[in-house]
Amino acid sequence: MRFVLIIVIVVATVALIAAGLFQPATASGTVGIAGGGALPGLAPKPDTPEHALNLCLTDLQHRDWRKALSTLTTDSRVSEESLVREWGGSDGGLRSFSSLESFDLWPLHATSDSAQVRTRLHWSTPVGPVEDVRDFHLVRDGEVWRIAWPKPEQTNTAAQVVPVNYLRWDLVTGGTQDAWGSHNLDAPHVRIISMNAIDTPEGAVVIGEVVNEDSIPAFVNVNSTLLDGAGKPIDEESSFDRIAHVLLPKQVSPYRIDFPGIRLSEVKSVHMDVRPTLVPASADPVVGVIDQKMEQDAQGNPVLQGELQNQSGETVNIPHVIASFYDSNGKVIWVSDGYVDRALPPLGSEAFAVQLPRNLGSKVHTFHVVVNHYSLEQS
Amino acid sequence: MMRFCAQLIRLSLISVAIVIFAFLPLSSKADGPAVGVQMDISKAGPRAVENETERRILSDYRLAWTNIAQAMESNTPAPLQALFVGPAKKWLDDSVSSQQKSGLSSKYLNQNHRLQAVFYSPEGDVIELHDTAQYEMQVLDDGKVIHDDNVTHHYVVLMTPGADRWVIRQLVAVPQF
Amino acid sequence: MSWSTTTVWNSLRAKARLVACALAAVYMGPLSVAQQITVPSSVTAGTESTISTSGSGSGTFYLVGPGVARKNQINLGQTVRLSSDDLQFAGQYLAIVCAAECHSSEFIVTAGKPATLAFLVHPSRVPVGQPDSVSGVALLFDRFDNLVLDPTKIGFQVSGLKQILYSREEVTHDGEVWFRTNSGKEAGPVHLTASAGDLTAKRVVQQVASDPCNLRIRAQQTPRGIEIETEPVRDCAGNPVSDGTIVTFTGMDSAGKISIDAPIKDDVARAHMNVPAPVTISAACGVAMGNELRIGQKP
Repeated sequence: MRFVLIIVIVVATVALIAAGLFQPATASGTVGIAGGGALPGLAPKPDTPEHALNLCLTDLQHRDWRKALSTLTTDSRVSEESLVREWGGSDGGLRSFSSLESFDLWPLHATSDSAQVRTRLHWSTPVGPVEDVRDFHLVRDGEVWRIAWPKPEQTNTAAQVVPVNYLRWDLVTGGTQDAWGSHNLDAPHVRIISMNAIDTPEGAVVIGEVVNEDSIPAFVNVNSTLLDGAGKPIDEESSFDRIAHVLLPKQVSPYRIDFPGIRLSEVKSVHMDVRPTLVPASADPVVGVIDQKMEQDAQGNPVLQGELQNQSGETVNIPHVIASFYDSNGKVIWVSDGYVDRALPPLGSEAFAVQLPRNLGSKVHTFHVVVNHYSLEQS
Repeated sequence: MMRFCAQLIRLSLISVAIVIFAFLPLSSKADGPAVGVQMDISKAGPRAVENETERRILSDYRLAWTNIAQAMESNTPAPLQALFVGPAKKWLDDSVSSQQKSGLSSKYLNQNHRLQAVFYSPEGDVIELHDTAQYEMQVLDDGKVIHDDNVTHHYVVLMTPGADRWVIRQLVAVPQF
Repeated sequence: MSWSTTTVWNSLRAKARLVACALAAVYMGPLSVAQQITVPSSVTAGTESTISTSGSGSGTFYLVGPGVARKNQINLGQTVRLSSDDLQFAGQYLAIVCAAECHSSEFIVTAGKPATLAFLVHPSRVPVGQPDSVSGVALLFDRFDNLVLDPTKIGFQVSGLKQILYSREEVTHDGEVWFRTNSGKEAGPVHLTASAGDLTAKRVVQQVASDPCNLRIRAQQTPRGIEIETEPVRDCAGNPVSDGTIVTFTGMDSAGKISIDAPIKDDVARAHMNVPAPVTISAACGVAMGNELRIGQKP
């Protein structure tokens, strides 16, 4: 009788070890913690498209580039270096500071030799969680499935000298011993030119546009306070990063302020407050936005797609796109933003896409895109 | 047993009541000296004083005089850091330091200030007030009252807007306006 | 009831009592009418002064006022000297003398001669041709930063590059004086001066161009794409708009919309659209909309 417990424990241990060795790894969990088939020769074969993609993404999640490469087809012609650049990030782009938190995948269609699998990638980034939907094409190679990885597009810019002749503004504040009134510098004149409060399933949202009416750059933040019928504040929020903070003279930026969990029916009035301050700034880099058009993404959601073109000689490490959408009356009906996870090389370009709510897609008459940017050299 | 529990509950309630009433006077004392302030903005110009500005100046001026009373009574300059700049801060700091050295202190009790705004600059960056201030002033030497008088003083006050408050830059007593 | 005077004077005890009372009156008399303080009628800040006391014996003198709280042992009847350091701040001072009792008297210290001129000017930047857009406030202080309340003449002058735009003399009232004037018609720095006797304060206001007017663009198709530039961007008075002002170039082609925010440099904004023709291009700057160009399109 006394040996029964010992026997039960031993049997359970052996069973669990066997299960761990031979079960396929799950995709979620912290990067760096190994899962699945760790012992050589005991790893399960990718005998289904989902299993193959799962293994590949798990290797990419763990930054095991060589192992990930082994799950690709031989004619993918992807080098380890290009895989690292594409998946691990480069040039100080947002991807360089991000990690793949988890992923979900589901098959779209499959035949005996090829399959299409859709993946939702959950990235953890310094600017918050980012989701990306990507389709992978897989082909059968004997008994296993492999991923046909698309050849990464690389911008080949010819070596050249690009003059930097855009303006810079520096701020001279004066000495502390100066007499009263001798170093008066007025704050920039910034004005909110539109404001619209709308309800969404997540809560109330205040959107609009702000313009720098002054002749010098301004650092701008827009705050909003929702007031109830008695004039008491319900909540106060800021635009955070849903605004182009540094506005050059006569530049217009959209803004969006979210109030999670609050319904507009509780709100009697909205108090807006814009706080401009003087900052040093540069008019470089100039980023053009081309091929802007409204499309639908793979899941049928309306998106504004386009391409960012860096017209300067410096790398834009983290481009940030903020788009305002207008109805036929010119009223701002939505503001979306999105970070491009790859850096914009000098004279190079990168695609972008920002989503908007499904119910607003048909109401959009026109749109305007502003590109915010963060450059490591200037931070 | 029931009687014991009832007595225990009664004792606890009495103890709680004693604690509450014992601390009530302390909490009201911690509020500091009472300072009344009224303001008339009808003669301010060339710029009209905005409602929010009036409200803010009243609040900051009341707090400033509360701070003066605290600083002069306790002989610490800390209360003077937030609402005073320039010459006003200098003489208040010097007063506190001088009192510390000589063992004196002063009390400003039962203050009432009637403010008249006489000038508000076109851009709103300076306001001049005339303050008819009535209070009981006591001067103490090592805790012993050597002077106690109800006074009416006339102050010319210059206030300028700071980041989130109005601060006193000039506070000068004059014989009359 | 009446006293019998013969009974009073004849009693030895009564005599002793009377003598004691008389002595007490003699010695206590001077103490009970003791220290009087005579303060100066007016004192200028930073100057020395004196306070006279009466009485005899020793006492304690206190001086409490702006920036000072002093205590000294004195001999009553002597003059107490107040140093210039004691009286540097203008305001109300309290002099107290204590012996058996305490007596006090107040006096006022007024500001001295003007030594500094504070000149507050707004705004630091102003569009040209705006009425009542430039204002200034002047205040006078003595060498101890006391506000000078005596009426004093202050002259104001506003001068542009080529001419004097404003000149006037005003008298301070309650220590301050102010003026307001229009901004000039030409962009550039404007110098403002306030002067009172030997004292002068100077400030600079930058006059900038108003909103852009008549924005016009031209474009040229090149092998690299389309080069677009504006004609010199000016306001309605002909002043060039500040460098750095953003001009938004917008293009519409078959692939979609193109937009580039380009800053003005040397009066002109330029942009490059790396797209093939045909494309329709327009521009906007602030509230000004430019002309529309069709590049590479068949008429």
